Amino acid sequence: MDVIRDVLDNQIVDRNQRKMGKVDGIVIELRDGQPPRLAYLETGATTLAQRLHPRLARWVAAVERQWGAKNSEPYRIPWSKIRNIGIDVEVDVDAEQTSALAYEQWLREQVIKRIPGGS
Amino acid sequence: MKKLLEIALGIVTSIGGFLDVGAIATAAEAGSAFGFHLIWAIILGTICVICLVEMSGRLAAVSQHTLADAVRERFGFNFYILPLVAEIIVDFLILGAEIGGVCIALQLVTGISFQWWALPVAFAIWLLLWKGTFGLIENGISVLGLVTLVFVVATFKLHPALPDVAEGLLPIVPQQDTTHYLFIAVAILGALISPYLFYFYSSGAVEDKWDAGYLGVNRAVAGLGMGFGSIVSLGVLIVAAQVLQPRGIQVDSYEQAALMLTQPFGYWGFILFAASLGIACFGAALEVTLDTAYITAQAFGWNWGENLHPREAARFSFVYTVFVFLASLLMVVGIDPLQLTLFSMALTAVILPIAILPFLVLMNDRQYVGEHRNGWLSNSVVIFTIALSFVLAIVAIPLEILGG
Repeated sequence: MDVIRDVLDNQIVDRNQRKMGKVDGIVIELRDGQPPRLAYLETGATTLAQRLHPRLARWVAAVERQWGAKNSEPYRIPWSKIRNIGIDVEVDVDAEQTSALAYEQWLREQVIKRIPGGS
Repeated sequence: MKKLLEIALGIVTSIGGFLDVGAIATAAEAGSAFGFHLIWAIILGTICVICLVEMSGRLAAVSQHTLADAVRERFGFNFYILPLVAEIIVDFLILGAEIGGVCIALQLVTGISFQWWALPVAFAIWLLLWKGTFGLIENGISVLGLVTLVFVVATFKLHPALPDVAEGLLPIVPQQDTTHYLFIAVAILGALISPYLFYFYSSGAVEDKWDAGYLGVNRAVAGLGMGFGSIVSLGVLIVAAQVLQPRGIQVDSYEQAALMLTQPFGYWGFILFAASLGIACFGAALEVTLDTAYITAQAFGWNWGENLHPREAARFSFVYTVFVFLASLLMVVGIDPLQLTLFSMALTAVILPIAILPFLVLMNDRQYVGEHRNGWLSNSVVIFTIALSFVLAIVAIPLEILGG
């Protein structure tokens, strides 16, 4: 498996096949005297922005702290929770219970459900 | 039997999807200004678009992933952001033009200025997306699109001289008005080879749950559907050439284009033109709005789907809601719909290379298309289209300034 080509930017689905974002970053743990280990997947706007430009990331983080539905920490999924990596990355969590869907949930409750026909 | 029905429906849908404000406006302009001489541009654009649409359907059917998903995964987000941003900008302008087309059609029939219609039209589009399913939008609206076949009927009634029509198959650049001629050629190609079709079609294939068993359906729908669509475009060009050009009427506005069906059909020709323009543009506006929501949601891995209830795909629904009303503001402020159409078609040509380049890699990647990857012929067509798109991208804006 080629981590950048086959995992980074791929779709993340939860255990119910619900789409919950994409792999915005991969965290590797460096250990003394042992080979580095794949630790987490990250999904979140700040991680994504960081890859485009550091200044954009600072700006996104500031906006999220000010107005966001959650804090600016990206959501981390431990590597051990990964069930399967095909074209999609399937993880053993329930998306609705995580902060990965914080904006989806906020928009659903505050905007979409208030439009006639949206609830 | 079920597959046959799907092919038939798919073909009808493709006719509707193929024909939009850009195809009608550029074909009418070409016919009125240069007679049959730009027929080759429609044929060339059709061949390219058939091949690329077939590929985006094949990619989706085999890999269960849309074109936008595949580009993001395979090339990474840092590449995908380029076609994404470019496509959103172009979609915004095209959607404004499509809404403009519907508004002009309503203006022709009612006499009330198009600006007043923009928000009601945007609301109608939004309501259909909010309440409807993909099947309703795909099949319901596109069946109405069959009214555009009136251009084909008119072509037969006008008995164009066949040798003259055949001559239009050869790309011959005239001595006079060369830049205008080339600009219209670029606009025709930009109108026909629109990237939103590829993203939309592959998302539609996923919405309709296509798998590898649908490759035959895909080939038939792409080939026959787009082929029939282009026959309607040719009809518009030929009718404009037969009716408008001899009278020296150049299409400076849609009101003038509306006269082209009055010779074969009298007063009803005027109504039929308005109906064709309105319905074709309304169908295309639905597609462009959905397309923008598709590519945005797919960029970030959000839940998406027109078959989902809005609350199940909140961010997706929010994108199309905001987008359709923002784009309608272009018409509310009174930008000329025809000018906007020609400008967005030229701009489409500019963004073509980054939209088409990924096809060459994806359609040869076994992980995505397995044994159904491109053969040498398909690859040759893609390479040719990429080369063509680079030429178009470079000349489009200079020609717009000189000849538009």
